[in-house]
Amino acid sequence: MIVQSKSSRTIRTLLGWAVVALFAFPLYYWLTIAFKDGREIFNYPPDVWFFSPTIRNFEEVFGISLGFGFGEQREVLPGGGNWRMGPRLWDSIVVAIFSTVLSVSIATLASYALSRMNFAGRHHFVSWILSTRMMPPVAVAIPVFFIYKELSLLDTYTGVILIHALMNLPLAVLLMKSFFDDIPKEIDESAMVDGASRWLIFRRIILPMVRGGMAATAVLCFIFSWTEFLFVLTLTQTGLKTVPVVSSTFVTSTGTAWGNMAALGAAAMIPAFLFILLVQRHLVRGLTLGSIKQ
Amino acid sequence: MKLGVLSADRPLVWMLPLVAMLVAFTIIPLIYNIWLSFHEYAPFRRRLEYVGFENWRMLFSDSRMWEALGTTMFYFTVVLLVELVLGMAIALLLDAEEFGFGFLRSILTLTLVVPPAIVGMMYLLIEDAEFGVLTYVLEIFGILDKTTPILATGSLALWGVMLADIWQWTPFMVLIFLAGLRSLPSEPYEAAMLDGASAFMTFRRITLPLLSKVIAVATLIRGIDIFRMFDYVFVMTSGGPGTATYTLSLYSWQQTFSFIKWGYGATLSLFTLVIILVIANLFIALAKVRW
Repeated sequence: MIVQSKSSRTIRTLLGWAVVALFAFPLYYWLTIAFKDGREIFNYPPDVWFFSPTIRNFEEVFGISLGFGFGEQREVLPGGGNWRMGPRLWDSIVVAIFSTVLSVSIATLASYALSRMNFAGRHHFVSWILSTRMMPPVAVAIPVFFIYKELSLLDTYTGVILIHALMNLPLAVLLMKSFFDDIPKEIDESAMVDGASRWLIFRRIILPMVRGGMAATAVLCFIFSWTEFLFVLTLTQTGLKTVPVVSSTFVTSTGTAWGNMAALGAAAMIPAFLFILLVQRHLVRGLTLGSIKQ
Repeated sequence: MKLGVLSADRPLVWMLPLVAMLVAFTIIPLIYNIWLSFHEYAPFRRRLEYVGFENWRMLFSDSRMWEALGTTMFYFTVVLLVELVLGMAIALLLDAEEFGFGFLRSILTLTLVVPPAIVGMMYLLIEDAEFGVLTYVLEIFGILDKTTPILATGSLALWGVMLADIWQWTPFMVLIFLAGLRSLPSEPYEAAMLDGASAFMTFRRITLPLLSKVIAVATLIRGIDIFRMFDYVFVMTSGGPGTATYTLSLYSWQQTFSFIKWGYGATLSLFTLVIILVIANLFIALAKVRW
């Protein structure tokens, strides 16, 4: 827009890189901790750039001896490892996948109706969905804890999956509605003139057109379930725990196992990083619950 | 089929699963929470007992609740403002096709997918008084030294928590504002350039007004999340030192699950809910945000 001199463009480029480097630094630093030996973590001044990398932290956390490494080998306890984190990663995956499937299915059906059919109170219904997004998680977690206790749903996959599905519903419904709104209504109408039923139109014509939107919605639901903390903290005890909650157990009375924690954290971030890069095209629309299109 | 109760022409049929979920997990818990707020757990008799308005009376005379409300409001204001201003500044900076800027924009999305609880841990480590890298940097610049641990000093702890929030969510603002900036028409800018308007005036008179919807939506969504923030304080300080970093969410959670005051915790969480609903709906009405 504004013509810029060469030097001001250079300054802008450098400044942009510097600012983003500042944001990337904590992630880089966390990664170095995951590859550091116990003693090196506590060095002061901290070793930011140079240290002798080891994969021991990963071996201890997941209980797999990889059989190679940069440093010395360490005895790893059989049957799940010193911290037994493999199963916890599994818990996270199960909860995230099932709650995502549930949210996206429920939301796709409902938002088709919200986008395509006229009925009294439709606007109020959308507001209601939006207001459930405003509920503080504590105000849901406290009563749900007691209700789950009555129903024996505490500490179960079903319980956590249901609450994560609920948590993602406002996002999923509003986002899917925005994808349905993108498709011209004339398509439905002309098919209806040809005598096709609502269900057939949805199933054969509209649904294939929102596949990309469903994928983007699913990725965001997956990530929000993957990163959720308060519900899992409140509604589980020993039966299952997801990665964010189990990370807090690395803080023990004898000190914090930083290296192990960083290794688990780093391993947990990788799938989320890959997923988010896949949906960059729809990311802003997702983050704004469908209200701003890229 | 056509006239049946389960006909696909009825909107409610499509929305039945959604309505069932929302009723089961928002309406019923809400009613239960209200019921709970009129009861309290009696540890010796091991049951809930009716206490009338006792919890609500206690709520308004509880100085720690007012302190937590103050902390929450302060945190909310500072974090939201910093994220908005910083987010806008970085978005303006990155809104160009300089060397590698596409890559930089992708890098910025990464902070959004780290679990906030793990971000809390990260900053616990970075701000550690013994070996934290931030402590080291601040020491070099002579701002702080190791005798003043950030998260264990009453006047600093909340700022330490804010830093984690700002680091994680400023990129959220950047991405949304960048999307907004890219959808702007170019004609007003050409006109402004012909008139010889300064860069600041162009931003103030053209960019800001055109971005108002985008800014309003970002403010609403972030504002809700900042107000109900729980993960960072729970992980980083558990409300301490003393009561310096208690937010309303953390205070109600602890009253319920650490101090077994089920009724009072429920009352606090309802109070938090009411405040959020009031502020958010006022904002929606004033800023005319529409979905």
